[in-house]
Amino acid sequence: MSNLEAILSRDAYLLSIEIRLFWLVALFYGICLILYIIHLITKKTGHGRIGTNILWLTAITHAGLILLRTFEGQRAPFQTLYESLSWFAWSASITYLYVERKWKDVYLAGILVSALSMGACFYALLTRSPAVEPLSPPLQSYWFEWHVILAFLSYAVFVVSCSIEISYLAVKPSVKKGLKLEYGLNMHNLETFHRQSFRLALFGFPLLTFGIFSGAAWANDAWGRYWGWDPKETWSLITWTVFAMYLHSMSIPKWKEMPASLLNILGFICMLMTFIGVNWLARLLGIPSLHLYAM
Amino acid sequence: MVRQAHHNIVTLSLSKGDVWKRLLPSNSVDLNPMAILKNIKDLNLQKIREAKLYRRFASLKTSIVLLGILVGFYILGTIFPQGGELEEYIEAGGRFASLVVFFNLLNIFTTPGFLITALLLFINLFICTIERLFVLLNQGIAKTEDLQFIPTHIFPLEINPHLEDALEGVREVFKKDLGFREQSSDPEMLDIGTDTKIIEKGWSYKWLTWIYHLSILFCFLGFFLTYLFSFEDEITLRPGEETIIKPAAISRWNRSWGRKPRELNFRLALQEFITEYNQLPALDYPGDKLSRLAVGMGWRDPKYLLKNESYFPKDWKSRLKVINLSPKSVIGEGNQAVLEKTIEVNDPLFYQGVTFYQAAYKQNLKIQVDDNPILLETETGKELIVPGIEGTFIFGTIRTGALFKRDGTIEKIRPFADVSFIKKDSAGKSEIEKLGKLEQDGSLVVDSRRISLKEFKEASILSYRYDPGVPILWWSGVFVLLAMSLRVFGAWYRIIYRIEERKGIPHLLLKIRIKGLMADEERLIHRLKYSLRKMTEPIDLDTPV
Repeated sequence: MSNLEAILSRDAYLLSIEIRLFWLVALFYGICLILYIIHLITKKTGHGRIGTNILWLTAITHAGLILLRTFEGQRAPFQTLYESLSWFAWSASITYLYVERKWKDVYLAGILVSALSMGACFYALLTRSPAVEPLSPPLQSYWFEWHVILAFLSYAVFVVSCSIEISYLAVKPSVKKGLKLEYGLNMHNLETFHRQSFRLALFGFPLLTFGIFSGAAWANDAWGRYWGWDPKETWSLITWTVFAMYLHSMSIPKWKEMPASLLNILGFICMLMTFIGVNWLARLLGIPSLHLYAM
Repeated sequence: MVRQAHHNIVTLSLSKGDVWKRLLPSNSVDLNPMAILKNIKDLNLQKIREAKLYRRFASLKTSIVLLGILVGFYILGTIFPQGGELEEYIEAGGRFASLVVFFNLLNIFTTPGFLITALLLFINLFICTIERLFVLLNQGIAKTEDLQFIPTHIFPLEINPHLEDALEGVREVFKKDLGFREQSSDPEMLDIGTDTKIIEKGWSYKWLTWIYHLSILFCFLGFFLTYLFSFEDEITLRPGEETIIKPAAISRWNRSWGRKPRELNFRLALQEFITEYNQLPALDYPGDKLSRLAVGMGWRDPKYLLKNESYFPKDWKSRLKVINLSPKSVIGEGNQAVLEKTIEVNDPLFYQGVTFYQAAYKQNLKIQVDDNPILLETETGKELIVPGIEGTFIFGTIRTGALFKRDGTIEKIRPFADVSFIKKDSAGKSEIEKLGKLEQDGSLVVDSRRISLKEFKEASILSYRYDPGVPILWWSGVFVLLAMSLRVFGAWYRIIYRIEERKGIPHLLLKIRIKGLMADEERLIHRLKYSLRKMTEPIDLDTPV
């Protein structure tokens, strides 16, 4: 066996381990989702707690998987959509787990987070190629790591913010009526829990701003113009604008309730459009995009 | 006081005509420049700020509504391909041709509707920034709700029985232990009493908020300069060639004045063009979902295959030389090479305000059919008809330069192109047949004819752009990010405190206000309690001083 053949054989072996591990991780995100749904139905904290413990285990395994991918590619593991979906699932889960530590026995927000993480993993596994490719010339830039890491961190934060917002909207009517709930939320902590959603969006906003500015600076170096109304660029601006509307509406007394909540959820939907939906939209409408590597 | 004045302003209801009559003196219709200047001087700023329209533009609700309208434009811009032609849109199955024409939906970001909305947002942001500045400059005497003193924490200072000692001690704790600074506000104006102190720690969140909003205004200025003065074009250069730069494009500003594009004051020479590739083995991996599940279950293994390997572009570079044509160039003489640089994607050349980018490259090749001395010329990716052969040839990108192999070795590529042959069947349907690799000086046989690649030439395609908006945009972007990050992630505290004697014991009464995600009221209280405990520890009389 030649040296080259030995290297290819090793690469294929590592890839097979990675794919199997990825399936396992996706499956465990699914188990977390089921446990959180049982918690929603039964109102028993035990299921939620087990779900969170398994989610910790899954996120740690997923971190190992991402490290393995980094070793395989000898570069940051978010060049292709396969890789960025994996990164998105992991960053959303780890952000949720970090935030959830402060909220004893409140697991409602875990439903959306584990559902998205599972969905992202299965979407990557079933529809994208797992081939490890070298960086194409436009991606060989010092902006690559910073732009993607911070933009995806903002995505993860917006996912958790939206999950909390939806949980709040779902539970609020019952809590306000004084009904007894067993999701760990009551009249005393409900608004503080909701405040967490705003704080997360506030945390994510400068990160998204950096993501857009760094993307523009990178485009200026690579393509010769900082803004070209490319669908991906435009949707990132839409997401930024909607979150700007949300944050501003939080300082208007009449708008800080339902209108602001809806804007937060809309911002999350726009974020999903920026990440995934725009690829589908560009293909559907035949709009050329310079972000082909992310499709 | 300013806040109270605002309330009165909002309740004023004036018609637009009334507003301008009040703002300007009665002789304001005089068009004499001196009279206009005098009128400007006589403008009453306070009255402008009282105007209903001005108040509308100073409103946060207006900002949100305008941002919402802009979102609508942005979404339209992603539904309709921007910069495209109507024919292309119709060919691609577009069904709203009449709407597209009427609303200019293929160039929506240059339509009056979009530009006016952006302008209104700029005015809104400008007025809000000005208003915020007034508030900030007057905040030292402003009587605002957050400066009213309703204590939320009370600590007894048991060991310090004298009020004056306690006051001094607490002051030291806040200043030295906790790093607070005293505010030089006038207590009487604040209606909090002379014995009440205001202290702060951290960067003022209000100023930070103001700075990043002001920086966003400067970003708008950058966009505006780009919109008016930028132009871009591209040049194609072969290795060894030198050219003058005469852009065909012209900025909007110059076009509106009827000016024509001007030749730039330097020439550009391409000394070398380099292409590099990575060896990319093909992955044998199933496309259908069940087979992928089988891989996941370990019933099947993925494999990397070399026989279907592809050449993955690693880099393409142009070694450029700038020749200054001005009589006095940088080094003193005209027609001198003043700059040499190898550019690549992500690493452009910047000279005299113009940036040159490695955009792409093109390849021309000469094909020999049998032993015919007349060579056929074509370009990679384009169809070539060879006399005597029914169908057309397409020559793919010629791979040449260096190949970086997976085992770490570097190999010089023997130039080759992948050749396809398009033939129409009896029904007129095109069939594409892959003929394989055609190496330089090698040949392929098609219909008993020998097709040989005799020579090829490469040319570097460089795009260039003049954009005076970029520096302003970058600098203001840095300020936006810095100020926003400090505002959001930082920690700002304001404490209003007073020491009162209650039942013979001095008590510290305080109210805390925090801003920023790093600000933690509990931690502050914890540290304060710890410092106060230290301060109130009994003096050990046995220890010699």
